[in-house]
Amino acid sequence: MQDINSVRQILIDKIATSNSPADVLKSPELKKLYSVIGTLPANERGAYGKSINDLKVEIQSAIDSRMDEIDNAAVEPLDVTAPFDINSSLIELMDTENGTKHPLIRELENVVDIFVRMGFEAIESRQIDDDKHMFESLNFPDNHPARDGYDTFRTEENFIPPAHTSTMQNRILSAGRDRLESGGQIAAVSYGRVFRNEDVDVTHEHTFYQCEGVFVSETASLGEMLGTLRSFFEAYYGQKLKIKTQPAYFPFVEPGLEFAIERPAVLGGKPGDWLEMLGCGMIHPNVLELAGIDSKKYRGFAWGGGVERLVMLKYGIEDLRHFESGKLQFLREFK
Amino acid sequence: MIISYNWLKKYTDINLPIDELSKLIGARLVEIEETVDLGKKYQNALMVDVISATKIEGSDHLNLVTIDDKRAVAEVDRNDNGSVQVVCGAPNIAAGQKVVWLPPSSVVPVTYGKADEMKLDIRKLRGFTSNGMIASAKELDLSEDHDGILVINDDVEAGTKLSDYLELNDYLIDIENKSLTHRPDCFGVVGFAREVAAISGEPFHAPEWLTDMSRLPLTTDNPLNLTVKIDDESLSDRYMAVVMSGADGSKKSPLWVQTYLSRIGIRSINAVVDVTNYLMVLTGQPLHAFDYDKLVKVADGRAEIHVRSGRPNEKLTLLDGRTIELCPADIVIAAGEKAVALAGAMGGYDTEIDDSTKNILIESATFSLYNLRATQMRHGIFSEAITRFTKGQPAELAMPVIKEAIRLMSEWSGAMAVSDIVEDYPTKTEPNPIHITTEFVNNVLGSNFTKDQIIKTLRNVEFTVNDFESDITIKRPYWRHDINIAEDVVEEIGRINGFDNINPTLPIRDFSAQSIGQFDIFRSKVSDLLVRSGANEILSYSFVHGDLLNKVGQDYRNSYRIVNSISPSLQYYRQSLTPSLLDLVNANIRQGYDEFALAEINKVHQKSSGMTDEGVPIEDNMLAMVYASKTARNGAAYYRAKKQFDFLRQHIGLEVEYKAMAERSDGRPYSKPFETKRSAYIIDKRSGKEIGVIGEYKQSVKKGLKLPDYSAGFEIDMIQVFESVKDYVGDYQPLGRYPGTERDICFQVSSDLEYGRIESQVQSALKELDYQSRLSPIDIYQADGSKTKNITVRISLKSTDHTLTGEEVTMALDKITSIVVTNVEASVI
Repeated sequence: MQDINSVRQILIDKIATSNSPADVLKSPELKKLYSVIGTLPANERGAYGKSINDLKVEIQSAIDSRMDEIDNAAVEPLDVTAPFDINSSLIELMDTENGTKHPLIRELENVVDIFVRMGFEAIESRQIDDDKHMFESLNFPDNHPARDGYDTFRTEENFIPPAHTSTMQNRILSAGRDRLESGGQIAAVSYGRVFRNEDVDVTHEHTFYQCEGVFVSETASLGEMLGTLRSFFEAYYGQKLKIKTQPAYFPFVEPGLEFAIERPAVLGGKPGDWLEMLGCGMIHPNVLELAGIDSKKYRGFAWGGGVERLVMLKYGIEDLRHFESGKLQFLREFK
Repeated sequence: MIISYNWLKKYTDINLPIDELSKLIGARLVEIEETVDLGKKYQNALMVDVISATKIEGSDHLNLVTIDDKRAVAEVDRNDNGSVQVVCGAPNIAAGQKVVWLPPSSVVPVTYGKADEMKLDIRKLRGFTSNGMIASAKELDLSEDHDGILVINDDVEAGTKLSDYLELNDYLIDIENKSLTHRPDCFGVVGFAREVAAISGEPFHAPEWLTDMSRLPLTTDNPLNLTVKIDDESLSDRYMAVVMSGADGSKKSPLWVQTYLSRIGIRSINAVVDVTNYLMVLTGQPLHAFDYDKLVKVADGRAEIHVRSGRPNEKLTLLDGRTIELCPADIVIAAGEKAVALAGAMGGYDTEIDDSTKNILIESATFSLYNLRATQMRHGIFSEAITRFTKGQPAELAMPVIKEAIRLMSEWSGAMAVSDIVEDYPTKTEPNPIHITTEFVNNVLGSNFTKDQIIKTLRNVEFTVNDFESDITIKRPYWRHDINIAEDVVEEIGRINGFDNINPTLPIRDFSAQSIGQFDIFRSKVSDLLVRSGANEILSYSFVHGDLLNKVGQDYRNSYRIVNSISPSLQYYRQSLTPSLLDLVNANIRQGYDEFALAEINKVHQKSSGMTDEGVPIEDNMLAMVYASKTARNGAAYYRAKKQFDFLRQHIGLEVEYKAMAERSDGRPYSKPFETKRSAYIIDKRSGKEIGVIGEYKQSVKKGLKLPDYSAGFEIDMIQVFESVKDYVGDYQPLGRYPGTERDICFQVSSDLEYGRIESQVQSALKELDYQSRLSPIDIYQADGSKTKNITVRISLKSTDHTLTGEEVTMALDKITSIVVTNVEASVI
């Protein structure tokens, strides 16, 4: 053991001054230590072998930090305030022709813009939230089976990467209550990134974008909801559209529907080909009450849908995974 | 869930073509994933008489069989008497039987539509021609029975198609379960049929027994003793059980039942099991059968069932052989003290029914769907039964179903009830009456229904409706526990009559204008500027692998950790954007892109940012850009990143100071990837606050992420930048009528003096002059080995009211140089 300790000191010293510290691993001192193993009685070999291995790990880490030191010593400081380097010429910006905006962001801005022009306020959704906003305030009691459909991630602290932009709904409703009570209406969209704990493939992503909207007034109706949504899609696709619904179940609306439009001309228009666009419904009275809004006096409707689908349909994008891939090959197609 | 169209027809008079039915169901009840034409699978199967069956000499199992199909098949070789010859290996074939024949060129149904689809032909076996085959129940995909051919005991005309006899000309409708989460009744054929009847306007024929809530009279003189007790009322609303004796385990359920079960994916086992499955599928109420004698033995001779919570450290071996550890959220069925089944989820090994079972205990009960859901998740049990239980089956249903089970057990398996139906039903819930008005319904829906239409709609789905002068008072049927408030009733009226028949209108709104939020406008402008500067905007995941945090030197303990991630690459919330961008550089270089800049604007999350008033983490909005070039270019990479950043900040009106990082080391986590000797903190001049970081990356980061050596970038806090520049409207200077002039000044300074020192002195001198002015850097020169460098800047000067004279220009330049040389150690050359 004495041997090992003295060898350790020799090797560490060598590393500290060497310019190629990795060579120490091949040093005769180390080899000699290994050769001792065979000469020991069987009951001592285990402990001895372990000590040598420990030594080797220690040596390796000393080598790593020495390598960093050597690397860093070679790093020259520079004048961070200068516009360009010493003796170098003026720098040009990169070629603007190669610059591209992400297609998803472009489309999201377009969607939000239409809703704003329709009179909706736009609020970005949170990317980390709590159970109250993600579920409870939306009429999903604890352990409600409808929670299964959302495949939520959770953090150690029980925060939730929201699985829908409805995570903003309670905030929007609470903030709008005063306006409502002084004779106004609540009209807002929330948009942003949401998360589902699922495996990624051509049509599934754990990270995607949604846009959701709410409207509350004394007279809101399901007919107004259908009209509002149709009006949005007509503005978005620039033509008159046929719409269709399908009953659906979401605990935060009653009634709940899936909303579809007939494939518009810009997407190759095909009568009878329905594109499912979003889920919607009349806001459940419990959701209004949980935001302090008198559900006997006020009614509202809400909807929410994915943004990727709009982009994929528009450009004919074949693989959902492209969006978050950071591939220039993909991004530079969107000049 | 799969629904058979023919099965629905047993309870409604519906007769729409399948595509119209699908459309209707889709629009008014539930999303359909697909419909399958079952008839095609059986299109050639025929019922035939066996005329003769004789053993083939030299074979241990083959029989030469002749059959009579009443000449139903046109193209097949026939004997002189018109019969057809088939070679059959089944041990149970005999003359006089009625069997199912698959003629040549038909497909064996169990292989239909599969990769190994088997098409029959004319074959020679032991020298004898075999025209097709005689099929077993398994080959017909009706059950697992492959011990012999299927023998039909009914009096059916030979030549009849099997599909006509067994109603196999059917369509299977695959529906999306999720949208029926709140409709336990629709998880039964009868309930689904009731809905289909209502939406299509056809009559519905409910089985009478389903609404008969009376008890069954006891038919045995000496009933077996049995008690049941729900120990905790929150776990179960109702638990009932009955013991039946004398079941013949070898008996099968009627063939039509077997075929209906098999077409929706449930295999026929024997009469006893089939009764429980059949009733579950029919009504949505799952049943469970225990071996009564085993159960009594486990309970030390007492016939005593308890419904209770799982106990700490309690273990239970399930039917599938797994031994699980129970917890208080699990509901267990206990015989005496011992847990024998995981309620609603799976039976236990100790009380399993087997060939020696004499007495069967049948359970009909409901359990708390919240507990069951937790159980389902914890133990990974996704059976047909628990799928139904977790929708919340009504307690009322337990009685009619157990009575029907007793009847069918006796009819199909010969078993008789030998105990009373015993039950514990601690809390009966009476639905509250719901009041609606025609006006309310029409206001919510935006519709024009008359009172009569509303009442008729609700009565069609068996609501009790009282038409009062002031309102309509509704009592739900017992199977509609999802109907609790007026809005629920409104949904029924809208849905059954078709939401698509409601006229879309627009809300009446005032003219108050809305604008996109100021920050959103700013963010969009920044994104556009990045594009103009040649960068590519990207989006990358909010979660990163722990290894990535390690590589860039960020402390993982400052990240919120995801505990249930599907993938290790989604372990932690990212603390800054730069690591995500750096992680994408190498792949793009390998793709052949030599020089590029990736940029992202997004949120990041870290514990050190603290909490909002709501108690949720504060979100930081960041912008990061990474510049990379495969090969070194003119000057250090740092200046490339700086060029891009300066372009951006000038266009948003951000005035900054670059502070060498080496001077300060208390950086936020976003500065960790940056090399201190070649990076700077960016300080906002207006607020004096650090708003970001710019520089080249550490050697270890470059190595760890395989970055090209020539790379650099920046990351800034978008909220702080926005706060600083939100009032900036540009610094327009009137054009003026008088020409300006330009002069270059060259300062000689010590090689380690920062350019910024000269620049700021010149700028402050320019401010003191009464001219429109601009400073542009021209050159920074240092001779090899020299201790000084020369900084050349160009000064542009212009007056708004006259053309500057040579004297004025010289005076201005003198002022500038004197200010510089007074404050900085520099000389003019």
